[in-house]
Amino acid sequence: MTNRLRVLRAENRWSQAEVADRLGVSRQTVNAIETGKYDPSLPLAFAIARLFALRIEDVFSPDGHH
Amino acid sequence: MATCNALYTPRDVQNMRVFNYWFLSAMVFFLVATFAIKRELVVPALGWTLTALSVGLLVMGVRAYIVFIRNADELLRKVQLEALALGFGAGMVFMLGWRLCERLGALKLDVSDPIIVMMLVFAVGQYIGIRRYCVKDDEQ
Repeated sequence: MTNRLRVLRAENRWSQAEVADRLGVSRQTVNAIETGKYDPSLPLAFAIARLFALRIEDVFSPDGHH
Repeated sequence: MATCNALYTPRDVQNMRVFNYWFLSAMVFFLVATFAIKRELVVPALGWTLTALSVGLLVMGVRAYIVFIRNADELLRKVQLEALALGFGAGMVFMLGWRLCERLGALKLDVSDPIIVMMLVFAVGQYIGIRRYCVKDDEQ
């Protein structure tokens, strides 16, 4: 799965720590999602999409579909 | 430089602290009970009381760990569960493998030896998992 978390975060000028705080997860979780080392759970994926006021498919997509 | 301690949220730190208190208390009582019973320093009733207290504190430690896992940051939970699986698997392999080795003449082990293997491999598994998801300091 690929995601646009790093791009969206940069657009909002948020640090990984800020995003982690807003989502109630650790900074390492945000980093692992951005670098593709970890795919978030469905509730966390929805929370990330909600944070950026986007639909979940605007943030996450299966490999090679962006 | 890499930061490896950013895997715990404040809630995880708090829950881990609660677990540590229970577990350390249980270990202190366990050691005191073992020493006192082995050296026959206490009457049987007190020995049973110390044993019950140790077991009770250990049960509370397990309960605190379950609370910690249930509420943990999801990546931390993944690291912990993988480490638990590694520890449990290593304990199983060691226990069954060594039983065969004993029949072939190897040294007889104590019942608590597989637990030591489990705990060591669990600790190594945690270390590997945490290292895998370290954050480079320039990744802000």
